Amino acid sequence: MPSLKEVKNRISSVTSTQQITKAMKMVAAAKLRKAQDRIIQIRPYSQKLSALLSNVSGTITGDIENKYAEEREVNNVLIMVVTSDRGLCGAFNANVCKAVVALIKNKYAELEKQGKVKLLCVGKKGYDFFKRRDYNLLNDYVELFADLNFESAREAAEFAMNGFEEGTFDVVDLVYNEFKNVATQIVRTEQFLPIAKVENEEEDESLNLDYIFEPTKEEIIRDLIPYSLRIGFYKSLLESNAAEHGARMTAMSQATDNAQELLKQLKLTYNRSRQAAITKEILEIVGGAEALANG
Amino acid sequence: MYLEVITPDKKAFEGEVTGVKLPGTSGSFEVLNNHAPIISTLEEGDIRINSAKGTTHIKIGGGIVEMLNNKVVVLAESILENA
Repeated sequence: MPSLKEVKNRISSVTSTQQITKAMKMVAAAKLRKAQDRIIQIRPYSQKLSALLSNVSGTITGDIENKYAEEREVNNVLIMVVTSDRGLCGAFNANVCKAVVALIKNKYAELEKQGKVKLLCVGKKGYDFFKRRDYNLLNDYVELFADLNFESAREAAEFAMNGFEEGTFDVVDLVYNEFKNVATQIVRTEQFLPIAKVENEEEDESLNLDYIFEPTKEEIIRDLIPYSLRIGFYKSLLESNAAEHGARMTAMSQATDNAQELLKQLKLTYNRSRQAAITKEILEIVGGAEALANG
Repeated sequence: MYLEVITPDKKAFEGEVTGVKLPGTSGSFEVLNNHAPIISTLEEGDIRINSAKGTTHIKIGGGIVEMLNNKVVVLAESILENA
């Protein structure tokens, strides 16, 4: 049985750890609320944008030339990995990294051998993970989440879009955590570029409103498509951000519970050894008194 | 007519207005009540909002506007300043 002092020390250290995890849980909960509000804010925006896009493209007859939908032979691959900047959020980052490793292994094993699979990491944890394993890393956007806004997200999205346009990459994949609810994150692997062709066979007459287009339909489409790509990327960053705080909140809540459990056991041990010490002392006194009376 | 100015980060304006002047790509134009349906891209510039309460200016960094059935939706890329 450990000595009284040892147990006491452990109790105090577990208590302070518990205080930290409890505080982190609160902070994560507060940040989660904010992150959730931002998702709620961007949803109508992206909905309206895609409604606009389909409104405009619905009135155009024939194919629209779209440089972001061009399918090429896959020689160079870019994978965008969205993780968090900080740890202590359960399996949040590990899940994304695992998904990326699996993706490379299953889909791009040949290209990886030729060093033609490049990674772009948003978030420090993913960057560290792949750096240690000597993957082919490009620009990193490590500090993006410290102050997440559309401007900084746009930079990263444009890097990928320009690379695709110039033919540096033939496929751009995006791996991130989607925010389902506080306790659940889903790892998503999506093809960012080229854009999957949307089948809009259905001719909806009611959509055919007599809009005035300025400057022209084609130019609006040309502007809208890259813009909606950037918004889509930004949306996945927001999803990942909210998912991170959700994951951290659950992880920290779990840690607090575990600490509580540990404390309970330690207190039991502490009381038991205290009781044992007292019993021993009484026995000694009684023994001593008896020896005196007998003598 | 009803006007909404939204960016990916926040809602910048929402309410009943009498007219709004927008920085269209092919020239600045003003939308008044019962304007015909229009979709236009916007460039960086000032949006002037005239309402019963007075005039408000919002500077945006490009975007797109849709007007339909007396409802104007401005999807701005960013808000540069809110004067």
